[in-house]
Amino acid sequence: MISAVRFRPALRAGLVAIAVLLVEWSRALVAQQPGLTVAALVLGGCALTAMAVGWPAERLGLGTSRFGLRILGGLALGVVLLLPAAVRPGAAPLLPAGLAIAAVVVSIGEELAFRGVLYAALEESGGAPLAIGGTTLVWTVAHALSHPPEFLGAAAAAGLLLALWRWACRDLVAPVIGHVIADLAL
Amino acid sequence: MTRKGTRPAALLALAAVLYAVAAWTVAPGFYDGFGPPQAYNFTCPPPQAGANNKPASGHLDIKVIGGVSDANSAFTEDGQIVIGFLPGAFVVDGKTTIAVDITPLATCPKPSGIRFVTNIYQVTASAPLNPDKPANLVLRYSNLEPDPSKVYQASDPNGAWAPLTSQPGQPYTIETRTTTFGYFGAGYPSSSPPTGSIQVGGGQILPIVVAALIVMVVLAGLPLAVMRRRR
Repeated sequence: MISAVRFRPALRAGLVAIAVLLVEWSRALVAQQPGLTVAALVLGGCALTAMAVGWPAERLGLGTSRFGLRILGGLALGVVLLLPAAVRPGAAPLLPAGLAIAAVVVSIGEELAFRGVLYAALEESGGAPLAIGGTTLVWTVAHALSHPPEFLGAAAAAGLLLALWRWACRDLVAPVIGHVIADLAL
Repeated sequence: MTRKGTRPAALLALAAVLYAVAAWTVAPGFYDGFGPPQAYNFTCPPPQAGANNKPASGHLDIKVIGGVSDANSAFTEDGQIVIGFLPGAFVVDGKTTIAVDITPLATCPKPSGIRFVTNIYQVTASAPLNPDKPANLVLRYSNLEPDPSKVYQASDPNGAWAPLTSQPGQPYTIETRTTTFGYFGAGYPSSSPPTGSIQVGGGQILPIVVAALIVMVVLAGLPLAVMRRRR
């Protein structure tokens, strides 16, 4: 079984997608229980991060080459993700202080799982188009339980933007930074 | 690190525009992981609330079967207050139906020593509660306000307010139990405000954060571009 998974990229990509969805949905359901929100977010983020264990850093888009550009890209992605909320008149939500650490853990975990492991598995299975489309689709479905339907368009567009960056720059550092900034602010 | 050519850059720019359009259709846009809470309908909206609908009222008729009032829950149409009754929660006194009404107060009392973060709701019923079977009351509050620590009750909104034993419920809700009706609101003692929220998302701070990020990108990008050209 293990060898079959190892040598069949499509099977491995499918299993990774199912595992990511199960973690995200479990996290969303448990987070709705009184008193369990922060614990669910932190444990869910850790579980997503753990999925990256065993994958070479370069396969995930991690690395230190041109690190300044990666950080700069992350800041720019953060700007793009926050811009609609920043220029919109009226209210934007506040992030309760207790959720700040959870927001960071979830952001890193989601990027490692979606644009890191799932992207790499799908790219190996069907190339960049499948990796970009597949991660965007799974990312959107993963948010279906935690977001009202009208928010899924924006979630999908954010997923597509981050996946395209991952493809265009072969980089995961910037999506991690941009995602963390966006989650910390909203 | 990067792919060569203009196609990746063009696709990235297109995705950024697509995101901006998609995010503009829903406030606040990309809002990850924590589920956007339903907007709170304020009687007296805070400045950062933006567009605001007036809070809704609620009505419930509870059947009395065999001299015992049925279990049921009364709530407002916007779900900002829910009060649940156990079987036999009312002293029925021969009634066949108990009417429960929830009405948001049209004003926002500011009693000394208390800072309310929710609307004030008047809960009335056509029969008193059985003291042995307290009703469970849940108040939802806004993410634009600090978390309340207590639910307060008063028989007159301009009179004395008493704190009830309260506990946090589901996210952005606070729960208590009561054996009497009257006026209810959630808040905290103004002498000990909650340690509170990171108000990064509201008011003027988010535009400042984004502007600072833009400046950082530009300032950091210039030396990087110069270094790249020298190579």
